[in-house]
Amino acid sequence: MRFNLVILMKIVILGFGAVGQGVTRVISLKREYLLDKYGLQLDIVAAVDRSGAALSENGLEPETLLETKAETGKLSQYPEYGVEGVSGLELLDEVEYDCLVEVTPTNIEDGEPALSHMQKAMEKGKDVVTSNKGPLALSFTKLAETAQKTGTNFKYEASVGGAMPIINLAHDTLAGSDVESVYGILNGTTNYILSRMAKEGSSYEQTLNEARELGIAETDPSQDVDGWDAACKIVILANSVLNRECALEDVKVEGISKITPEAMALAKKEGYLIKLIGEASQDVLEVSPRLVKEGSPFAVEGTLNVATLKTDLAEDVTVVGKGAGSIETASAILSDLLNIWNSG
Amino acid sequence: MRVNLVLELLDVPGQLLDVLRPMGRLGANIVAVIHQRDVKTDEGKVPVQITIEGDEETLNRVIDVLEENGIQIMEVDGVLRREKITTILVGNIVDQDLKDTVNLLNQLPGVRVADLDLKMSDPPERSASKIVMEAREGLKQEVFKKVNEIGDLKGFLVINEI
Ligand SMILES: NC(=O)c1ccc[n+]([C@@H]2O[C@H](COP(=O)([O-])OP(=O)(O)OC[C@H]3O[C@@H](n4cnc5c(N)ncnc54)[C@H](OP(=O)(O)O)[C@@H]3O)[C@@H](O)[C@H]2O)c1
Repeated sequence: MRFNLVILMKIVILGFGAVGQGVTRVISLKREYLLDKYGLQLDIVAAVDRSGAALSENGLEPETLLETKAETGKLSQYPEYGVEGVSGLELLDEVEYDCLVEVTPTNIEDGEPALSHMQKAMEKGKDVVTSNKGPLALSFTKLAETAQKTGTNFKYEASVGGAMPIINLAHDTLAGSDVESVYGILNGTTNYILSRMAKEGSSYEQTLNEARELGIAETDPSQDVDGWDAACKIVILANSVLNRECALEDVKVEGISKITPEAMALAKKEGYLIKLIGEASQDVLEVSPRLVKEGSPFAVEGTLNVATLKTDLAEDVTVVGKGAGSIETASAILSDLLNIWNSG
Repeated sequence: MRVNLVLELLDVPGQLLDVLRPMGRLGANIVAVIHQRDVKTDEGKVPVQITIEGDEETLNRVIDVLEENGIQIMEVDGVLRREKITTILVGNIVDQDLKDTVNLLNQLPGVRVADLDLKMSDPPERSASKIVMEAREGLKQEVFKKVNEIGDLKGFLVINEI
């Protein structure tokens, strides 16, 4: 059915890389669907990258945003509505909007600039949706408190496992069940490397280089291979799903750089694979290489993510999904936006 | 009452007798023994199914004595009693380290190292070793804790099961 009443949700997208562009594309792809199904129109009133911003109170054209970024690399070049040099923080003061989509790069030193962006938006009574792990892994409690105090929605499904549903699954779908622990393969890059090593018998260094060449590992892969990316996600899960107040510094972290073909071979002989596993319970907070059974749900290959929630009533619930990717991650952001819309 | 036991015995003469004798001595009735010598486990052991009868106290005593005598009880009334625990160590592991590790693990009550494998590497810092243990049910976390302690002490990377 067609809703007669169309409600506008004005959003600001801070950061216009893989995820910011994915969100823009998804908004464009789903325009009719959202109108039909929800009577909802998502208007991008501002989008920001390092060059500056594009902004218009009446909504920017998603296609023009994507074209401008693709052709010039700079949102400040957006025809008519482009502005050079404006920062995200300034912009949040000037624009009328309902929800901030925070998708700037992850910073695990101090969470900035994303932390200030989110705080500012919520203090002004705006909802926040993000895929950015840094600020959550460092300051989850502070952010959650701000959201509570200001009565705003703070959603971050995309920050753990990209498109793999887990946060909202635990909160909404499994409502009433108590989650006792969570563990999973939460980093696609390391899972790719370990899967290849298991298959090819290749060395860690060689496989890492291959992953770099394919663009699966970044030029500086340390956050992935040293386990910090997975550790951020474990902190987010611990806070959000286990109600455990903790931060990145509380996680015991071991990466995959010491895994050898010999270790892989020994594991295989016993029917195991080696995977980088993040685990959180009331007394464990850890990222480390672990043995998983071949043929089990954890024996996933490539860049897939998997997680198991151990609950009191539903027992084990396991999900698998794409942990990264532009459109995939944007799907989780869209679901957060719709959840906010449904709850409002 | 009756209880069904599944044991795993070494395939050498006299093993079965060593098991049956204390049962009789403790006052349990042996109701049935199923012993198929041509069926073997991965480790070359022979599974034996024994049904015994007696009061609860006697039957418990029988199980305790069998365990004290180092007999592997795999199942009691269809419930698995032993679990296999696998761990992998990576680092500059030499024979002595492995012996130490095995000793420390064997000292844990209810735990027995069943299989070992060492793959030396060049450079030696990358050697890997696999340790397979058999333990009474419910000891996994304790075993992993011990292995982690040993790993910390010796500077090995420890890869445990999830
Ligand atoms: N990629 C994925 O699949 C994925 C999945 C889950 C979560 N995430 C998380 O989502 C976030 C975005 O990831 P991404 O892959 O889209 O990153 P990205 O491709 O590196 O894009 C980052 C964007 O942020 C912009 N930016 C950098 N500093 C800024 C600042 N101070 N103010 C405003 N904009 C700024 C960059 O501008 P320029 O374009 O001018 O450089 C760029 O457009 C990260 O926190 C990441 O960890 C990503």
